[in-house]
Amino acid sequence: MTRKRLKEGLWLTVLNVFFIGLCFVTLIPILYALTVSLSGQNSLLSSDFSFIPKDLTLDNYREVLFGEDILTWFKNTVVLAAATVFLSLLVAVPAAYRFSRRNFPGRKAILKCLVLLNSFPAILSMFAIYRLLRPMGLVNHRVGLILVYTGTMAVFSLWNTKGYFDTIPTEIEEAARMDGASDMQVVLKMVLPLARPSIITTALQVLIYVWNEYIYATTFMTGESKYTLAAGLNALQATEMSGSWPVFAAASITVSIPVLIIFFKCQKYMTSGLTAGGVKG
Amino acid sequence: MKNRKKDTLISYAWSGPSLILIGLMVVFPIAYTGYISLTNMNVYHWFDFTIIGLDNYFRALFVFDSGFLSALLATILWTVVNMVLQLVIAFGLVSLLNIPKLRLRKLYKTLLMFPWAMPGYVSILLWKTGMFNTQFGLLNQWMESLGQETVRWLSNDVSAFLCCTVVNLWLALPFMIMIMDGAMQSIDKSYFESAVLDGATWLEKTRYITLPAITPIISPAVIITVFTTFKQFDVVYLLTQQAGAKTGSGFHTILTYAYENAFITNNYGYSSAISMIIFALLLIFSARYQMKEGNR
Amino acid sequence: MKRLLSLFLCICLVLTLAACEEKALDPEEANRLVIWHDKEDAVIQALQTYLEKAVPDLQIQFEKKTSLTDSLKLVGNDPSAAPDLFLFAHDKIGVFAEMGILAPVEPLLEEGALDNYLPMTVEAATYKDTLYQLPLYFETLLFMYNRRYMQDEEVPATTDALLTYMEANTGRGRYGFVEQHSTAYYSAAWIHGFGGSIIDESGVPFPDAQAVKDALSYHAKFVALMPGETEYNTVNTLFLEGKADATIGGPWMVPSAREAEIDLGIAPMPVVDATGKALAPYSGVQGVHVLQFAAQQKTEAVKKLLSALTAPDIGIELALASGCAPANGVCYDDNRVAEDEMVQAMRSTAEIAIPMPNIPEMDVMWTVVGNLLTDVNLSGKDIETSFDAALAQAEDLIAAMK
Repeated sequence: MTRKRLKEGLWLTVLNVFFIGLCFVTLIPILYALTVSLSGQNSLLSSDFSFIPKDLTLDNYREVLFGEDILTWFKNTVVLAAATVFLSLLVAVPAAYRFSRRNFPGRKAILKCLVLLNSFPAILSMFAIYRLLRPMGLVNHRVGLILVYTGTMAVFSLWNTKGYFDTIPTEIEEAARMDGASDMQVVLKMVLPLARPSIITTALQVLIYVWNEYIYATTFMTGESKYTLAAGLNALQATEMSGSWPVFAAASITVSIPVLIIFFKCQKYMTSGLTAGGVKG
Repeated sequence: MKNRKKDTLISYAWSGPSLILIGLMVVFPIAYTGYISLTNMNVYHWFDFTIIGLDNYFRALFVFDSGFLSALLATILWTVVNMVLQLVIAFGLVSLLNIPKLRLRKLYKTLLMFPWAMPGYVSILLWKTGMFNTQFGLLNQWMESLGQETVRWLSNDVSAFLCCTVVNLWLALPFMIMIMDGAMQSIDKSYFESAVLDGATWLEKTRYITLPAITPIISPAVIITVFTTFKQFDVVYLLTQQAGAKTGSGFHTILTYAYENAFITNNYGYSSAISMIIFALLLIFSARYQMKEGNR
Repeated sequence: MKRLLSLFLCICLVLTLAACEEKALDPEEANRLVIWHDKEDAVIQALQTYLEKAVPDLQIQFEKKTSLTDSLKLVGNDPSAAPDLFLFAHDKIGVFAEMGILAPVEPLLEEGALDNYLPMTVEAATYKDTLYQLPLYFETLLFMYNRRYMQDEEVPATTDALLTYMEANTGRGRYGFVEQHSTAYYSAAWIHGFGGSIIDESGVPFPDAQAVKDALSYHAKFVALMPGETEYNTVNTLFLEGKADATIGGPWMVPSAREAEIDLGIAPMPVVDATGKALAPYSGVQGVHVLQFAAQQKTEAVKKLLSALTAPDIGIELALASGCAPANGVCYDDNRVAEDEMVQAMRSTAEIAIPMPNIPEMDVMWTVVGNLLTDVNLSGKDIETSFDAALAQAEDLIAAMK
């Protein structure tokens, strides 16, 4: 017995060492940025680099938080991201449910077309989208960006949730329906809790897309007060002539932290409610 | 009969908002690009463009020369290499992360998500200047301290391809890990328990339980990733082909190639025609793939 | 289900209502001018402060736009989305003039307003004999050196002398001279020094092929003594860390060089021995462009603004605030401007500098020349074949523009 435990302990240690090593290797570029952000020299590059900055300073973070408009950009991004995630799930979940559960005419054809839509190189789509937003008066308007983001992510959201719904056995729903539950109730009370992992992955993917998107944001929004974080960062970097690398690095790291916190917090809910032979709690 | 009709209607009502949004933001741009490809919209006819028929397509055929063909082949190789590595690595890591007694799992997962939490262009910039730079990059600083010759990492086709692959994996793996992890969580644990009782090995469990269970869940995300990998532009362009910071590598994906040989002309009719042709090419590929799948 | 549908309809309704909000041009609106730009804060701050005093009755709003040219191509001449004016370099004038969104500037200026302007700046702002930009300031590349390593008397007057200096001072991680040798903007100076050019006024690429080839093969000797990768960051860091004695760089390097406590010297461009011509860099003229609808609907406001911008005061302000070289020659009479070594150096470089071509065809030449330089300098390909390939690509791309 003790031998087995010893073996298990050894295996876990190896595993932990492996993951610590892997995390370190993965994070090297980010540690690099972290070091630059903590150093006083205005240089992204240096011929004698070490992971411990020479003159350690928090000035760059101070400048990011108080000097730039980062708090405004943060607020803009949060509003955009929250609205987009909400709208994405609002439109995707019912559609995915119907596509998963009902076999209506046109269903197969639509599903097939949705995959194929991904083949289009969207590099020139900007024009079309401008032509679309302009008559609706949504250029330089948050609602416009929210619609663009939701639309762009809609294929993924629909497909990803539908893929998961397919794996949930229908028997549970049938039982509920026998008891007189409406479609809406079934989705809200049964399907959603069961599909939690996929809802969360979808929401996270949408969130991160909005968080990091800057091309639409810089093209359709004018003025620094309307920038998102990614757009603001891009502006910081684009003015390379006056740009300050440590501030840019500090800003990049600051921007990523909220996403990581959200991700960490979400993991608890990533496990499905589905267990052996039925529904938990 | 009437009931069925009503049911269909309800289905469309439920999926309406989603389909409308897709129609507006995805289908409409395709249609619009198709329309522009038939016109002479360029710098000299920006607002007063007229329909000129298929002229742009005839001209576009000249772009599809040997350079385009090798870019196409490189893109296919790129997609295959990246997808295989992504799936294998993600699967391996997720399997390890789901070992029950690994307590720090949440921390590891979160740290491994970091590359995903940064805007792509920032990460690519970090890799290009921080890692690969010939003079100051960390890689060459390490080479020097090991007493090796410094290497120009991005300057020839093969090493540029490898470097781009590393960066692309770095950027794409977090998403794949998350999707696979989500799928893995959904597997009914009781299957494993009974498999263990039957004395199944890890390989058997993977083959007969894990893979069949996660395939349907991850396949949408995987298929979408295949397309994004095929259409990859940022990684390759920003690392090696950026105007003013070219590195000398000849590795092009079809999109970076099309960009350099068409999109920079400001001729939107012509560029649209090229987009539509690339679209058609990819459609043919995926149609063939679907047929193969269907035969199975 | 119904709730969902009604929610969606509500959203649609709101969108339509938002769309109907059309604006009429009331007097207040006619005095409001929106200017897009992508400049650093110091420049905009100086402009803003000056304009608040000079034209208090105008409401001028500067809006930063990172992807300025792409956005302009989208919004074109649409009063609801486009700015009234924009502040940008002169090299996109051809594109925007051909698109038909730029208004000629001359009719909006007072007579003789440009008499004192440096001829180079006015030439840069002119496309097909029409003036499309009111120049404010310009930038050219400068020969800079670190006095700690290169003494004033060591500064090479000719390119051969520069080569000798590089041979003597390069090695063991140090460089005698670095520049972005494989970037079109920087290599243009060498091509011009050999009497060649990247594109001529009528859109013919490489009008003097031999000059370009000569420049490439001569320049290759210098490239051999520089690091392989030389994008902006590398060159910048080498010079700022004191690893390179001299460089050719833009005025934007000066503030960071001063911050890095480098004893910075600025010298005239070296002369090519074979031709007797100095390396002649491109110059970029930054100025104000007027969109057509603004010129028509807000004529008075635009005229007032332009008239304020032609006064020498703003040029002096800009020179003092961020070391810009004013387009208006009168500004250089100011004592404080006369003392600024860098501004004066740019002024004298303006005599030889060649404005970046502003024809639409130039857009593709940046890539073509970039490819040519990469082939020759980085991949070590043969000059003749690389040049022929580049010429063919240039002709294809230019043909594809129409």
